[in-house]
Amino acid sequence: MARPAVETRALVKTFGVVPVLRDINLQISEGRCALLTGGNGSGKSTLLRIIAGLSQPTSGDAIVFGASSRNLGVVRRRIGMLTHQSWLYPNLTARENLTFYAELYGMPHGDGLAEKWIAAVGLAAANDRVREFSRGMEQRLSIARAMMMAPDLLLLDEPFAALDPDAVAMVADLIRSAIARGCTALLTAHSQLDLGIEIDRYQIVNGRVVPFRDETRAPQRSRIGA
Amino acid sequence: MGAFAAVLRKDLRLEIRSGRSTIALFALSLLIMVVLVFALNPQPIDRARDAAAALWVALVFAGMLGATRSMIAENENGCMSALTLSPIDPAALYGAKLAAAFAFMAIVEIAAVGLITLFFNLDFGADLARLAPSLMFGTLGFAALATLLAAISSRTRAGDLLLPILAIPLFIPAIIAGVKASEAALSGFPLAAASQWLGILAAFDVLFITLGALLFEHVIRED
Amino acid sequence: MKNKIGTALGLMTLGLMLVSLFMVFEWVPTEADQGIVQRIFYFHVPCAWVAFAAFGIVAIAGVFYLWLKDQIWDDLGYAAAEIGMVFCTLVLVTGSLWAKPIWGTWWTWDSRLTTTFILWLLYGGYLMLRAMADDTEEVARFGAVIGIVAALDVPVVILSVRLWRTIHPAVLITRSGEHGLEDPRMVITLLVALAAFTALFGWLLMLRFQQLRTRTRLTILRREVALIEAAVGDY
Repeated sequence: MARPAVETRALVKTFGVVPVLRDINLQISEGRCALLTGGNGSGKSTLLRIIAGLSQPTSGDAIVFGASSRNLGVVRRRIGMLTHQSWLYPNLTARENLTFYAELYGMPHGDGLAEKWIAAVGLAAANDRVREFSRGMEQRLSIARAMMMAPDLLLLDEPFAALDPDAVAMVADLIRSAIARGCTALLTAHSQLDLGIEIDRYQIVNGRVVPFRDETRAPQRSRIGA
Repeated sequence: MGAFAAVLRKDLRLEIRSGRSTIALFALSLLIMVVLVFALNPQPIDRARDAAAALWVALVFAGMLGATRSMIAENENGCMSALTLSPIDPAALYGAKLAAAFAFMAIVEIAAVGLITLFFNLDFGADLARLAPSLMFGTLGFAALATLLAAISSRTRAGDLLLPILAIPLFIPAIIAGVKASEAALSGFPLAAASQWLGILAAFDVLFITLGALLFEHVIRED
Repeated sequence: MKNKIGTALGLMTLGLMLVSLFMVFEWVPTEADQGIVQRIFYFHVPCAWVAFAAFGIVAIAGVFYLWLKDQIWDDLGYAAAEIGMVFCTLVLVTGSLWAKPIWGTWWTWDSRLTTTFILWLLYGGYLMLRAMADDTEEVARFGAVIGIVAALDVPVVILSVRLWRTIHPAVLITRSGEHGLEDPRMVITLLVALAAFTALFGWLLMLRFQQLRTRTRLTILRREVALIEAAVGDY
């Protein structure tokens, strides 16, 4: 089997003495879309942050495209991330925010790229400062920020939160397109999602990651049009 | 170095955008100097010494408030995480933050020098030109120090208080050397007379810029 | 095994201190100019040596912590900082006690005392940082950085203060105690005192370091227990 895009080995994270993640052994193959569900405070966000190298594991390792998350080096360039915080500058406009990130990542034609992605997430107010945006608009712009760089790995923490149905469909589409061009994606959510593509489903229970089994027959998923 | 330029440009733009607080900082610097005028009650004989003292007090206080802004701005919305994840080299990020802090302090200082000249009845011209090296080195050193320390203090309790507690003792050699060099400049001595002091300032700058570049990645790393 | 080292250091300290006390108060001749008060010099100088050496340890421990990321280095650095601070305070206090009878003032800005005072401020900043940050890993990292930065600042401080004082010498001349120790007994007494205080520092450092190590080990154990408890919850 080809080297997985993301792999964790006996990953443990404790905050002080409180264990949040215990012995996580996860493998996500390249080009797959994985969904991790769990309640509030279950550790989903922590796991994503560790994979992105923003947080250090207490023990064990997370390996992204062959590089340890403790020292990602050039692999950082290949990761696009969405967290609960928007990573946007409130006093800059939407366009200025995206142009900044484009330049930061060394993308050519940052202006054009920014315009394209602002349109792709359905934002009209490119010249308004982010400070004036609603939560939903901020979320959409943040997704644009994460995906703009054509990353090989998307780490999206609750991407559909605070989005209205139209936006949800748009974002689902963007994710599908990314997967189609070979990107690997790890999403988190509170409950199951149906994106119309094959998804590897996991859940966090008591600090451990286990495959998700649909115990009930009832349609508890929110179906997002394909 | 595109990333360096991107961060610097972004920080400068943000500083310009926050217009109101820049004006407030000007006002504060002005008032600090007013206090010093009344406290020192400068006589013509002590002009150079008092003016140099006032200038450096203003530098330190204004620097404390202004030099850390670009670091504190990154704490909003978790932007520092974005920078950590980005491919930018931590040393380059440090350099950009340092440059932004320096630029901001420089602007406030130019205004301060103007006020000093007025309040202490100095001559415009050659004296002020000789003042430039000591002020520049001093500002650069403080910016280098504050940028590194702000990354620490902004993440601890009572960070606003912690910053001066950490910064001032570290900055003392620069204050000693800087005030002496500034005083010499304002007294009409040629630059060579203050060469030892300027040498200390330069050494201070080299030391702290190097330390900052090397250690920055350790202070911005979260968790 | 550790207790053996601690006990050995403790006994050595006791022995050297007793000898030192005897030498300082009974054996060494009184200095001509300053009289009996000059004897405080034999405590003042070793304290200063310890204060500066401890700071060096804080910085080196900091480097190792950032490099190896092992908590043991942070424990060492923190212990060294706490104890160094005590000795630094002693330098200032003994310096003050010495100054008053000799020159009639409690404080003087001569180059050595000024430098020590700045060192004291640096220590204070380090300790305050440790007090104000909550998370262990973060505070250890920050402490390491501050320790390194401050230690490298010290040479610049020494240089600038010395220059400051040569151009404007303190109103009071520097103490004559250190140069021109005419009588060899003075030199010997000083060296013995240095050894005694170094042993004292080593002993105190060992004690405090072991305390911090125990605390670290306890945290690790509690973490293990929490992990096991959570594992039980799986069933």
